[in-house]
Amino acid sequence: MHTQGAGSRTVARRPSGIPVEPMNSAVQPVAALAPASASPARPSTASVELRVDSLCQWLEPAAPTASVLAVGERFLDAASAPWLSLPVVDDGRPVGSVSRYELMQRVYIKPFGRELYGRRAIASVMHMQPLVIAADATIEEASRTIAARIRQPIMEDFLIVDADGLYVGMGKVLDVLGAMEQRMAAHSHELERAYHQLKSSQAQLVQSEKMASLGQMVAGVAHEINTPLGYVRNNVEMTKESLGELRGLLGAYEQVVDFFADGGDEARLAAHLQELDLRREKFDPASLDDLAGLLDDTVFGVGQISELVGNLKDFSRLDQAHVSRVDVHQLIESALKIGGNLLRKKNVEVVRRFGTVPEIVCSPAQINQVLLNLVTNATQAIDHEQGRITIRTHAVGQYLMIAVEDNGAGIPAEHLARIFDPFFTTKPIGQGTGLGLSICYQIIEQHQGRIRAVSTPGVGTRFFIALPIRGKAEATP
Amino acid sequence: MNDERATVLFVDDEERILRSLRMQFRGRYDVLTAGSGAEAIEVVRGRLVHAVVSDQRMPGMLGAELLSRVRDISPATMRLLLTGYSDMQAIVASVNEGEIFRFIEKPWQPQRLLEAVEQAVQIARRELAVPAPVVVAAAPEGPGIKLLTIDEDPATYALVRELAGVRHDVQYATTLESALAVLSEQEIAIVIAGLKHRSDDVIGALKTLKRYSPGTLTIAVSPLGDSYGLIELINQGQIYRFLPKPLSRELLRRSLQSAIDHYRRIKVAPALAARHAVEEPAASAAEPPATLSARLLGYWRRIRDNGRIQQSA
Repeated sequence: MHTQGAGSRTVARRPSGIPVEPMNSAVQPVAALAPASASPARPSTASVELRVDSLCQWLEPAAPTASVLAVGERFLDAASAPWLSLPVVDDGRPVGSVSRYELMQRVYIKPFGRELYGRRAIASVMHMQPLVIAADATIEEASRTIAARIRQPIMEDFLIVDADGLYVGMGKVLDVLGAMEQRMAAHSHELERAYHQLKSSQAQLVQSEKMASLGQMVAGVAHEINTPLGYVRNNVEMTKESLGELRGLLGAYEQVVDFFADGGDEARLAAHLQELDLRREKFDPASLDDLAGLLDDTVFGVGQISELVGNLKDFSRLDQAHVSRVDVHQLIESALKIGGNLLRKKNVEVVRRFGTVPEIVCSPAQINQVLLNLVTNATQAIDHEQGRITIRTHAVGQYLMIAVEDNGAGIPAEHLARIFDPFFTTKPIGQGTGLGLSICYQIIEQHQGRIRAVSTPGVGTRFFIALPIRGKAEATP
Repeated sequence: MNDERATVLFVDDEERILRSLRMQFRGRYDVLTAGSGAEAIEVVRGRLVHAVVSDQRMPGMLGAELLSRVRDISPATMRLLLTGYSDMQAIVASVNEGEIFRFIEKPWQPQRLLEAVEQAVQIARRELAVPAPVVVAAAPEGPGIKLLTIDEDPATYALVRELAGVRHDVQYATTLESALAVLSEQEIAIVIAGLKHRSDDVIGALKTLKRYSPGTLTIAVSPLGDSYGLIELINQGQIYRFLPKPLSRELLRRSLQSAIDHYRRIKVAPALAARHAVEEPAASAAEPPATLSARLLGYWRRIRDNGRIQQSA
């Protein structure tokens, strides 16, 4: 009864132990992670720690001087019925225990046992090293003590003492086992919850990494789009204005032509001619050539914008692991285009050493993400004016190799081993979640490829990717 | 005023932008173009330029830096930024370093750009017509001036008070109304204003203030935030400096010093105040918002009428 009450209390209080805050964790995934990861380490909060006194029941002890027969009678009491053993207490202190089983074995089953031993003091047949457990011990401690001390088969329960070592009641071994089992169930439940929370936190972090790079990308892309949009709009407005002037000029010509067709007085002709002169003066035919040039620029600008938007569309489909046969060089160009703003801002020269390579089967959106990440990292690593990123491709057997090399700051050896670890970052807080490369790693692993890095601090870093040319061995589900 | 055509220099790393702008403006001005900051500096060194319109993001040198260097080479040249992406850093730099006249976003409205450039050219022309303003060697012994701090946060006032020293008078107001009362009665040289206010529209007031009293310099103080509001504060409020909160002591000290110097220069050559002419707000909010009471409107009128420093137009 006690066991169950205590057990259900544990269950009832658990929800307050682990805060479930989906809203908060969406905003600050790292914050949400803390309780989740802390939970397994300290599975149940101290406030609900189950202690031995919760299992304690009063059982009248026997005095060491009590006769064997009197103690034997006690076992027939209803109060003793649930117990395996009776405590023997002298002056409040436990001195032994008498187990039902042993009393049977030693006294009652033996021929003339009752007659031989019945009148002796119980102290002569009791077990002298009873199981004694402090009331404030935890269930875990109790179970450890029991496991270490108990005799097989289990034939006794344990005595419970207070801080002064005085007998306060009995506890059942079986209850301890029950409590432990409940505890284990609760633990595994908590572990499961923690696991799920961790998993969703990681998913959120992956998402927020994506959002962080998206934010950087939007800044760059806004500039990239607004520049052509700027001259496109201006050119269109100027063309519109010129068309207005052209229409006026045409109208003036028409008036003159109409005059000759329909006739009229000369004063009107003079007026028409004067207007025509005015219009001609205002409109420079040479500007038609300029306009043609402006319209060429406009077409070019619109093309640039749609190309950028097309690239964005590719990148917005990051989750779709759609597999197709692609030219890796196109993916590289696309990543350079998207990352282009940062490259230009840092004045980084891009050197392409592309080999003759076959098309490969991969998820283009995911490989795009990997390449963009490598290019962005490489650019960020460069803090001098002679920045250069070299991208090489070549085919080796069944693999296509891509190397992205920068002449930036490099990565110290102690960091290099950890760069693919989730959450490892050397960037200032807020600039990276430390997931970029770990996502790259996952993507390449999923492709059954390999990604490695070598670096020399002060010289630069080179990332290698090897991708199977024919794609993953088994068909994608 | 002047029959000779004014010269306008456009700077952008995208040649199509330059081609388009050249087409748009060649009927009005001598149009020069430069593909980079370095090239632009050479042009400004070599000849008189009335206005420079520069892109912000260019390889080599950012627009804000270019305009700041143009200011040193040719103080009379008006500076405008024409940019496609308004990150906070660029905007703040354009105010504090470039001391720009207008911040225009791409894609621009041709008419608005035309008006801004024309206004800039007119101001430069006027300034160049009068004998070159004596560059007032920042006379450290000049008379003390009056400063007004508007901020609910008393720490701002305390810092301004401390940095202004004993020679300058610093007033303190926590509400717009008390600030206007001070402004209508005294000649305030510099207003240091916290933009975030529980109830009052400080941004709106700064814009209105500049229209009524163009010679008053404003230093806006705010946690970094809405870049849109800041662009309006440049174009319609001509803030002199923008300082992020929490206030950096050194930044505020330098800003106050250059504001004091600049204010003294304007006192000597009032035409300089015209450089801070503001753009009319897009809406018909030319008059103080209707929510302001008649009393506030009265303050504004008094500020305008008292206008000790008016445009010399």
